[in-house]
Amino acid sequence: MLKGPAGRVLTYGGIFVAAALIQSAWLVRLQLWGAVFDPLLPLVVGIGIFSGSEAGAVAGISAGLLVDLLGGATLGLHGLGLMVVGFAAGLFERSIYLEDPLLPAVATFAATVAAETLVRVVVVIAHLGPVPWPAVVWEILAQGALNSALAPFAFRLVRTVEERFRKRYEEG
Amino acid sequence: MTELILARRRMVVFLTLCVLLLGLLTVQARSPDRRLIGPFGTAVLTVLGPIQAGMARSAQSASDAWDRYLEIGRLRTDNARLRQQVEELSRAVSLLREDALASRRLEQLLGIRQAAPGRTVAARVIARDPARWFSTVLIDRGASAGVRRNDPVINADGVVGRVIEVTPTAARILLISDSRSAVGATIQRSRDAGVVEGKGGAALQLNYLSREAAVRVGDLVVTSGLGGVFPRGLVIGNVAQIVREEGALLQGAVIQPAAPLDRLEELLVIVGTP
Repeated sequence: MLKGPAGRVLTYGGIFVAAALIQSAWLVRLQLWGAVFDPLLPLVVGIGIFSGSEAGAVAGISAGLLVDLLGGATLGLHGLGLMVVGFAAGLFERSIYLEDPLLPAVATFAATVAAETLVRVVVVIAHLGPVPWPAVVWEILAQGALNSALAPFAFRLVRTVEERFRKRYEEG
Repeated sequence: MTELILARRRMVVFLTLCVLLLGLLTVQARSPDRRLIGPFGTAVLTVLGPIQAGMARSAQSASDAWDRYLEIGRLRTDNARLRQQVEELSRAVSLLREDALASRRLEQLLGIRQAAPGRTVAARVIARDPARWFSTVLIDRGASAGVRRNDPVINADGVVGRVIEVTPTAARILLISDSRSAVGATIQRSRDAGVVEGKGGAALQLNYLSREAAVRVGDLVVTSGLGGVFPRGLVIGNVAQIVREEGALLQGAVIQPAAPLDRLEELLVIVGTP
């Protein structure tokens, strides 16, 4: 088993690929109020909060590009959105109480609203497609609610991965 | 100092990534189909595409199975509803058929009513004697409708019997097939007279015919008007068999009653006879 940065990159890479595949093949069928579960966003937010801004930004750009690639979107669109929220989450790395049970849901909701809004602004600026704003607002809020429901599981997964790598680092 | 360096490094990384992504987006937005994935993207899709397609197919299969399950539930509900409709319609058809048959019988009864001697009261059979099938029936008209004891009772086919008990709302009819019944009769063709008596079965017995009476099988037997109960000329039945005993002074005949005594429904009571 790989240790150190390479092992972490591969582990998160595998998790992102699995999550992106599950989202694009399965979760996309479970639409609620026009929104779809996006497990990658809480993962990116979790990585940002647990590992810092740079890790969050790199995780966000990787996950976003994967989503763009598998989902058929313009490359970089979700990459930008997730990169920004991953980086922003990392800014709170040392200033928030990690054991707060509401943290995953609240952080994910805020990050979803920010990322989805940013994505749509880019869509408008780059003339990638029409954005019906009143409907989009509700869709973004619904998306936030769905992602918040996934957040506790995503955060637990990130915490488990981080603790294992920290333990291995300390042992070896 | 270290914090400041770290913060600057963070900002440099962030801005670099932003510039890279904005550059990528600009290239993408300028391409004709807004999507250029390049060789790396193609390689990733080549590896992940089949997995994604397989997962999508499995999701589609699960979705189809779920749709079929829901469809089965809907079909079951529809089936139950349609079965209920069929039952209701069958009941309605049966009732309409009954009404049509009753209407036909009543039409025939009306024809007889106009030809019957005296005033008549239409009645419906409401009960039969379960122990002795061919003996008595109960009708839904009684003294309040003018029905009296010994009033003759007919239907569209012929003589049925006579009233033996009367209550204000019902009356009991002794059928001509009952062994206690005796009706004065005449062979319509030869005018030979006799008495038709019940035998407790489906057929009747014509007795006291003269030995010289030229009776034939198929002859129509009608009431003679003798005895003071039945008016003359009402159809009783047809001769089914002639009974001649060796050395006897009289002869007899088996009569097939004209009225279906085992399936009576609507009857006419002749109440105006003197």
